[in-house]
Amino acid sequence: MATTPNRRPADGPESTDARPAEQGPWHNPLLDPRDLRMPRIAGPSSLVIFGVTGDLAKKKLLPAVYDLANRGLLPASFGLIGFGRRDWDDQAFASFAEENVRAHCRTPFNESTWRHLSQGMRFVKGTFDDAEAFRRLSATVSELDRVRGTRGNHAFYMSVPPRDFPIVARQLAESGLSHSTEGAWRRVIIEKPFGRDLASAKELDRVVSEVFEPDSVFRIDHYLGKETVQNLLALRFANMMFEPVWNSNYVSHVQITMAEDMGIGGRAGYYDGIGAARDVIQNHLLQLMALTAMEEPVSFAASDLTAEKTKVLSAIRLPKDLAAHTARGQYAAGWQGSQHVVGYLDEDGISPDSTTETYAAIRLDVDTRRWAGVPFYLRTGKRLGKRVSEIAVVFKRAPHLPFEATATRELGANAIVIRVQPDEGVTLRFGAKTPGSAMEVRDVNMDFSYGRSFTEASPEAYERLILDVLLGDPPLFPTTEEVNLSWRILDPIEEFWTEQGRPQPYRAGTWGPEEADRMLARDGHHWRMP
Amino acid sequence: MIVRLNNTTTSAIAREIDELHVERGEAAQGRVLTLVIITGDAHLEGALETINAASREHPCRVIAIVTDADKHTNTDEKSDRPGTSGSTPAESDRTLDPDNRCISYKTARPGGDHTLDAEIRFGSDAGAGEVIVLRPVPALLDHSDALVIPLLVPDAPLVVWWPANAPKAPSKDLIGAMATSRITDAMEADDPEIAFASLLEHSGAADVDLSWTRTTIWRALLASIIDQPPHLPVTSVRVTGQAHFLPLELLASWLALKLEVPVTVERDPRAQAITGVYFTRGDGTMSMERHRADQARINQPGQASQTISMPLRTAVDCMSEEMGRLDPDEVYQDVISRGWPMVHNRCTR
Repeated sequence: MATTPNRRPADGPESTDARPAEQGPWHNPLLDPRDLRMPRIAGPSSLVIFGVTGDLAKKKLLPAVYDLANRGLLPASFGLIGFGRRDWDDQAFASFAEENVRAHCRTPFNESTWRHLSQGMRFVKGTFDDAEAFRRLSATVSELDRVRGTRGNHAFYMSVPPRDFPIVARQLAESGLSHSTEGAWRRVIIEKPFGRDLASAKELDRVVSEVFEPDSVFRIDHYLGKETVQNLLALRFANMMFEPVWNSNYVSHVQITMAEDMGIGGRAGYYDGIGAARDVIQNHLLQLMALTAMEEPVSFAASDLTAEKTKVLSAIRLPKDLAAHTARGQYAAGWQGSQHVVGYLDEDGISPDSTTETYAAIRLDVDTRRWAGVPFYLRTGKRLGKRVSEIAVVFKRAPHLPFEATATRELGANAIVIRVQPDEGVTLRFGAKTPGSAMEVRDVNMDFSYGRSFTEASPEAYERLILDVLLGDPPLFPTTEEVNLSWRILDPIEEFWTEQGRPQPYRAGTWGPEEADRMLARDGHHWRMP
Repeated sequence: MIVRLNNTTTSAIAREIDELHVERGEAAQGRVLTLVIITGDAHLEGALETINAASREHPCRVIAIVTDADKHTNTDEKSDRPGTSGSTPAESDRTLDPDNRCISYKTARPGGDHTLDAEIRFGSDAGAGEVIVLRPVPALLDHSDALVIPLLVPDAPLVVWWPANAPKAPSKDLIGAMATSRITDAMEADDPEIAFASLLEHSGAADVDLSWTRTTIWRALLASIIDQPPHLPVTSVRVTGQAHFLPLELLASWLALKLEVPVTVERDPRAQAITGVYFTRGDGTMSMERHRADQARINQPGQASQTISMPLRTAVDCMSEEMGRLDPDEVYQDVISRGWPMVHNRCTR
């Protein structure tokens, strides 16, 4: 239904005739790898968003689609379909989208861009258990193929709670929407969390892979934009000066932090029973750790990168004494900056005896020659001092300091800090002499910021993600195997924690429970203040 | 904010910039490149406006060299142009100019030969970097490299842009020879055809003309059209657009080079910019047309026609693109050295 009616049956042989020198897949003669100025524009396609009235769609997805269009990266044949319960027609959906795009778009609002984009907008009213609604969706998709020339290429964005994945996947399969016709594609985008333990992750994977091919499933961790991953890879592997010291000869330990200043907000239903470790450590922090610790991939192709990440994830060892090397916390009432906030147990929808942790810290070791004896500390939490994500590689002290002991009293350990957000960049921390007649060495920071050196307005992570999906560019995000390996690391810790009763409370707006400080002190280290 | 340094030296300018950085708490290290603009007074403000907008994406230090400073006098200053002697305003005298910009005057070197006037623009007058406007006397222009060397961002790429008339061989220009990338704009020259003819003759690896930059969106959309199955071979191409419009000629040359098929160009003096590209294939004609300034229509056999928003590229778009990538554009070199003759020898015959 999607392919052109007067398509010649033998397009294969004919196109190879045209370029006899090139065997194998057809190559677009107008594309040239040396042509760096030419942007890749997505081919004819549509994006179907389930959960289009949710926060994510309103604040991120719809604006990202608009920004892509405004940057000229979407094709003329593009459709956007919202699926939801609201009693809307296409027009009402378009004005809902316009309102949110105007409020959240990154590039200026351009009427002409919007007019063209909104012509391809459709809304399908229905619930996930309504087979009739999915038949209407199927008809709408075909209508777009006909009217907008989307040629049977459709991506489905699951902006819905994980418990709804199976039913949506089944409905897509039953209505025939998940099957692509020849020459066209169907892709599905799912957001973290990918399950709540190894067993449920495998179950989720089974459900999705029954319906979609493995390479049509795009798992997205929006905390970890592709830009961040590539920046980290560039820092490590494009430079000469970091890699030689990136090992246990020089590194004392590594701290990977993702702190949020927010509480759980309106996500009580999702968060309670999940907790900080499943929410953040399993995906985000373990991915950052894998990227920090892995060996150099043979290329930056997704498969080579995955191979290295998988290797290092499989070499991760849990501490024997989980009580000594993990810590949990739960935020209590306090002052977040200048505002009074309630404790976790007093949040709406949270049971007063909940044992869900809002702070988690764990120590992991990597059993490789490069990292033997170097602990990796991972911590995350809500209602901490401020919103920050960073990787701090902390170095050993110099083996000999040819100064008076008093001269280096204020000298800490050297560190390379990779700031993931906000203000993405790199800080080098080292000692310098303080001016004056006395010899005194003190820590100073040398700073690099992407924002200041390159661009004030770099694309939102979602713009990159959606474009990669439409282009079919394999994402740098976790494969099933990585997800499973991560659960294998976290499951024993979660199991241990369930036997430990209440997490230790910590005052909102501070850097977590005392237990976490003691955990590092045991190893002779202390947490950085990010 | 603008600081005007009349009768000054490059070291005084460099010192003033350092002081302003300290005063404003900005780190100068954030600048990743130096952009030198070489222009006559007539194009100066237009070029600076463009670059201020483009520098939001690419923070840089801009050095504008005014090549005809001796021929112009500013209305708000009567007697302090190079080569004239007279009283200069007192140190740190602050005034507002006709555009309501805050200007402070500093005299760096009372007395001595008057060889150079300068202006440093910061903050709202200078985009995301800083702008240094240099107005040297003609004799100093013969040593323009020595003039800018003390002011370049250390160890960073140097881009030179001639917004209007460029030298015959940009790579032989004193500053051009030092540059990582040389940007010309033949369409803005007094005689575009002659300007481009000399570019064709002298073009070096680091040269690029903005006429090429203006074709990028067309090229990307055409590539995405060709990307769609069925991948039948294109047998010929017709390109239509404005007469005497270099981007049209470059687009045709690129298509001829890449598709290796005959490309004809239809030039219409009444058309605006590029108006259409028509691919002939076994199954019919695929085309992309732009008859209105802000939208394009894509027609493919067996498909409903689609329109897409496609505003004319602005100078800011073009300069942002140029500053985004600084390595030599090998595709452009191929297009002018091999693609251009494929299209243009045919039509002169």
